Amino acid sequence: MFFRLLRQSFLAGRRRKVLAVVTVSLAAALITTLFDLSVDVGDKMAREMKSYGSNIHVVPKSEVVHAGVDGVGYNPLSGRDFLDEKSLVDIKEIFWRNNITGIAPFLKTTATIGPRGAVPVIGTYFNHPLPLPDDENYRTGVTLINGYWNVTGRWPRDDASDEALAGIAVAEERGLSVGSRVTLQGTAGAATVVITGILSTGTDEDGAIVAPLAIVQTITGLAGKVQSVEVAALTVPENELSRKAGRDKEALTPMEYDLWYCTAYVSTIAHQIEEAVVNVSARPVWQVASGQGVVIGKIQFLMLVVTIAAFLSAAVGVSSLMNTTITERAKEIGLMKALGAADWEIFLLFLSEATVIGLIGGLVGSAVGSGLSQLVGLTVFGSVVAIPWIGLPVVIVTAVFIALAGSIVPCRAIARLLPVEVLYGRH
Amino acid sequence: MDAITTSVIEVAGLAKRFGTVTALENINISIRQGEFVAIMGPSGSGKTTLLNILSCLDTPTEGKYILDGIDSSSLTEQQRTVIRREKIGLVFQQFHLIPYLTALENIMLAQHYHSMPLKDEAMAALSRVGLDQRWNHLPSQLSGGEQQRVCIARALINEPAIVLADEPTGNLDERNEDLVMDLLKQLNREGRTIVLITHNPDLGLLTDRIIRLSHGHLEDVLP
Repeated sequence: MFFRLLRQSFLAGRRRKVLAVVTVSLAAALITTLFDLSVDVGDKMAREMKSYGSNIHVVPKSEVVHAGVDGVGYNPLSGRDFLDEKSLVDIKEIFWRNNITGIAPFLKTTATIGPRGAVPVIGTYFNHPLPLPDDENYRTGVTLINGYWNVTGRWPRDDASDEALAGIAVAEERGLSVGSRVTLQGTAGAATVVITGILSTGTDEDGAIVAPLAIVQTITGLAGKVQSVEVAALTVPENELSRKAGRDKEALTPMEYDLWYCTAYVSTIAHQIEEAVVNVSARPVWQVASGQGVVIGKIQFLMLVVTIAAFLSAAVGVSSLMNTTITERAKEIGLMKALGAADWEIFLLFLSEATVIGLIGGLVGSAVGSGLSQLVGLTVFGSVVAIPWIGLPVVIVTAVFIALAGSIVPCRAIARLLPVEVLYGRH
Repeated sequence: MDAITTSVIEVAGLAKRFGTVTALENINISIRQGEFVAIMGPSGSGKTTLLNILSCLDTPTEGKYILDGIDSSSLTEQQRTVIRREKIGLVFQQFHLIPYLTALENIMLAQHYHSMPLKDEAMAALSRVGLDQRWNHLPSQLSGGEQQRVCIARALINEPAIVLADEPTGNLDERNEDLVMDLLKQLNREGRTIVLITHNPDLGLLTDRIIRLSHGHLEDVLP
């Protein structure tokens, strides 16, 4: 009988119920959009940030403290520690390996080109094959991690022994252009290369010759060695836990450590690289990591504020509609009491109606909100937003709470309503 | 007439005041089980106020009201709700049927609040008032007389100790008035205690006794 009463009562006041559903739907749609974006914006931002370069810098442990001038190590290459080129594979074997979007090794030296003295020379991967146990066709290099490197001409081939890029500053200073042929005279050998492109980065590389790693290894006599590795990884924004881990990992409780280790913070990935590769120091590039964290943190806070505002305004809307409904149905409520209905039985009827409104509003709002979040994703980020399905129950429960929160105050009027007053229209 | 031995309603020294206005003063009534009693009087005489107290919709300012052995004069709203559910069947002048429920569902609603809704019993009650063919009709699809008969079926469904009918024919034409009064008389013959509020002297004559009110006082009891 209760469900029949609920169904009939719900259908009888359709117009007002539809208005309440629309009110809840709007809030649910807004909350869904913000929820979808707040969950996905981390990945979206991280991918955006990846175009600004790597976010983890890996060097041999002994090289953590060393002076550099204009991007070139002050220390002579002799007597310094290096990483094995073979160990690059190990970086892609850590727990968060799928979050590592690119790796680029670097070997920096100076070489004489012509009579006007030495210029910095940087060896690296451009788009180099790096076969992995689970992906034999994996390729990596600066073309994947440094989206801000612009080349006029073409990139050198990694397997070519006679191709290189000239930084825009070096090209101007030494009169180099695409097609120029230069001989790089290093400490252990020489290589003659053709300039395939002019490199513009806005950073130190503008003043250097950038060549495939193998060429620089040849002229330095450091076959199979690299000086540093830049790693680009998709990370989640830093928070209090990751900052605490950054200060002192020993201070973490076992549970905090597990949580930190199993979350893709930049500090976690750096830590796992240090575990995977012997004798290296992996340091987050904090300008990128913290900038990302700050921006995402602010966006998520803004979303929280908007969500609370949507919740409150929808609850007030539902409250107003429910107030009117209870006033309109006062006689019906009085009759139920006259027939012997307890207050809680009447509350139950009205709160059940509110729950149905919340459920329908939540479902409709989730569908509309998912569409809106795709629209925002395509407009702002140029790609679709991944729909987190956990959002559906969260939004539906929130929508039910909105409807119930809006109904509780009006329902208090039910208890105050006396049947003799409404049935006979007096005292 | 063996049934007419026990008092089902005992009212002693009852008064009701609204601020400085006295609606009822020093009312003393005794109604025995199985009686058909009319409470009569002109408008403003206090008969609806008395009915509200007898139906536990309201409380007296002074005096005692014993309903089926229970002192109902100083109960809380919740306790009076239980008394209404268990002991009283109400018939209203305005019918007061839930507009979005069918005739059958309106009767089952009273069952729902009393114990549990049983469709067969509700259908039997509708059949008793001659409306079993119209069980699926909404109140808006029924005539005034039919609505009142649904209201009577609803009042009877939980086997109450008394049926209180407030001007049950006030909104009906003569033919329907006769139908409803015949129904009430029939129910009384079957042993129901019925209290009828009316200002119509002809209807009063159809009852066992008339309690006449005037300006909130008990004027006389006939016979």
